[in-house]
Amino acid sequence: MEQAYAEALWRVIENGMEPEKAIASLKNSLERSNRSSLLPKIARAFAHLAARQARKNTMTLSIAQKKDVTRALKEAERILAERGIRETDLCESIDETLIGGWRLEGRGLLVDQSWKKSLLSMYNAATK
Amino acid sequence: MDSTVIEKIIKEIEGHSAAKHAEHVGTVTAVGDGVVAIDGLSKAVMSEVLEFEETKGKSLERSMEVEGKLWGVILNLEEDGVRAAILGDSARVFEGMTVRSTGSVLSVPSGEELLGRVVSALGEPVDGKGPFKNATMMPVERQASGVIDRKGVSVPLATGIVAIDAMIPIGRGQRELIIGDRATGKTTVAVDTIINQLNEPEEKRPVCVYVAIGQKESKTARIVEQLRATGALAYTIVVDAPASAPAALQYLAPFSGVAIAEYFMDKGRDVLIIYDDLSKQAVAYRQLSLLLRRPPGREAYPGDIFYLHSRLLERACRLSEEKGGGSITALPIIETQDGDVSGYIPTNVISITDGQIFLVADLFNKGVRPAIDVGISVSRVGSAAQTKAMKGVAGGIKLELAQFRDLEAFMQFSQDLDKATSDRIASGQRMVELLKQKNGAPFPLEKQVAMLFAAGAKFFAEVPIRNVRETAAAFAQYMDDNHADAMRDIKDSGVISDNAKKTLAGAMEEFRLAHKELFTEAK
Repeated sequence: MEQAYAEALWRVIENGMEPEKAIASLKNSLERSNRSSLLPKIARAFAHLAARQARKNTMTLSIAQKKDVTRALKEAERILAERGIRETDLCESIDETLIGGWRLEGRGLLVDQSWKKSLLSMYNAATK
Repeated sequence: MDSTVIEKIIKEIEGHSAAKHAEHVGTVTAVGDGVVAIDGLSKAVMSEVLEFEETKGKSLERSMEVEGKLWGVILNLEEDGVRAAILGDSARVFEGMTVRSTGSVLSVPSGEELLGRVVSALGEPVDGKGPFKNATMMPVERQASGVIDRKGVSVPLATGIVAIDAMIPIGRGQRELIIGDRATGKTTVAVDTIINQLNEPEEKRPVCVYVAIGQKESKTARIVEQLRATGALAYTIVVDAPASAPAALQYLAPFSGVAIAEYFMDKGRDVLIIYDDLSKQAVAYRQLSLLLRRPPGREAYPGDIFYLHSRLLERACRLSEEKGGGSITALPIIETQDGDVSGYIPTNVISITDGQIFLVADLFNKGVRPAIDVGISVSRVGSAAQTKAMKGVAGGIKLELAQFRDLEAFMQFSQDLDKATSDRIASGQRMVELLKQKNGAPFPLEKQVAMLFAAGAKFFAEVPIRNVRETAAAFAQYMDDNHADAMRDIKDSGVISDNAKKTLAGAMEEFRLAHKELFTEAK
């Protein structure tokens, strides 16, 4: 139920309705049908929906060390260009667990150029 | 560190190339009860295997501690994502986790080295005898062979159970349902059939696959031990998805079993597969389907529950000579509630299979074991596969037993019976005794033929009812010990020649003289 309300709210806002107006109208509608208690659940479902939409559009570039940022960005942009991905919010972050290299994730794709992945695959192949 | 490991690591480093290929991934949005909702994976296909990435955000040291890879299998394709079943410990999966698409559908290892082994529903060894080295991967979901690739059922599959081989014969490539209430001997019939394959010559002996679905592990362990003790484990593979396993594995186990069986069928060999039992698989599938939010239907089973069983059992067939001539004979087991065979799942599977063996609690409690109700048990294609020898001696038994069952009820009220009726009752009682059999003691074909031949010749008419079973077994053994040539002739040719008939008639007389004590009532 709350999922359906959240999706409807998302759609009307996407179609141009002002968020305040959309929320007010949702509140009225819920009050009329005596379903106001659904509001917190709808809020949570809406947050999930927003996170899902954000994941659809953003990509995260995790880099092991600060000094590698420029090179990693260059390679990531080349990969994105190869795949025809242009307008994207590319977030950068430092992830020391990668040991070295970088990892690009988002929009259903994963390119892992980290040393951790290479070392793990070698370890697994040698020991298992 | 061990020098071989160091060598391996050096080899890996030398051969390592960091390919910049992109993988298709999704993100876990919800997880619970062994089912996971995943966002993304727009290119995923049904039954595709997924890999959960457990090393993200963990240090190398902690990543190395991760116990094996965690897999999932896609069961629902949705607009924005997929839903999948977790094939392992669902406690290892959490929201936000990255899931990799592997691009391959679920498959299990199969091959000669699986013989004598116990494997999980994913084909992983669970008997502590180590991993498989040269196994061939077989897809768990595969389309059943088409009609052109098949041929009719014409070769018998002996169960070693007289009542079945005589009246409800099973052929190689047939699907024969074993149905009955709990504790009526369904598993015993199936396991005895596996054990009886020891009586087959090695080149004709079918490979046996026993799939335990939702069973207690103690029961499976007991069966494995029984198979080991009798020597039947050497040609048997046990697929175990115990009651404690996730519903996804219980749902997959029969498909894994048949995938393993198909390897041998494709090589031209005969396979016997037992699904013990499909009611539990249906329950596991219902659980999964409800968790996957598929619309429930009758008894809350999903709409495709019939398809679940039909696509599984259609994979049992006998292939044409061009396709190698191999076969898969399926003995699915269904548990009924209070003898109700008109339930949803029982009627579905009855309609899919080529016959059914009904086991009845009343008969079981009366001491008739195997408790087969021959009146409502049927084999629709097996008679074409029955040997001439068996056909010749077993022709009238079903009718005789049916008449006896009618008279048996009548007998309860009437004291004075005419001679013909009392003779028929006496003969029926002896036949019922003859068809009783201990578990784990199947009879080879020639012994069954000898016993039924003797019964047809009224050999047991003078034997007290309580001695019939013992006398029949002793006579069969007497034939084996003293007239081995005639017995071998019946076994090899599948017919009772005139000579064999003469030998049997003579042997009956010899036996009667030698074992007078069996023909008199003990005082």
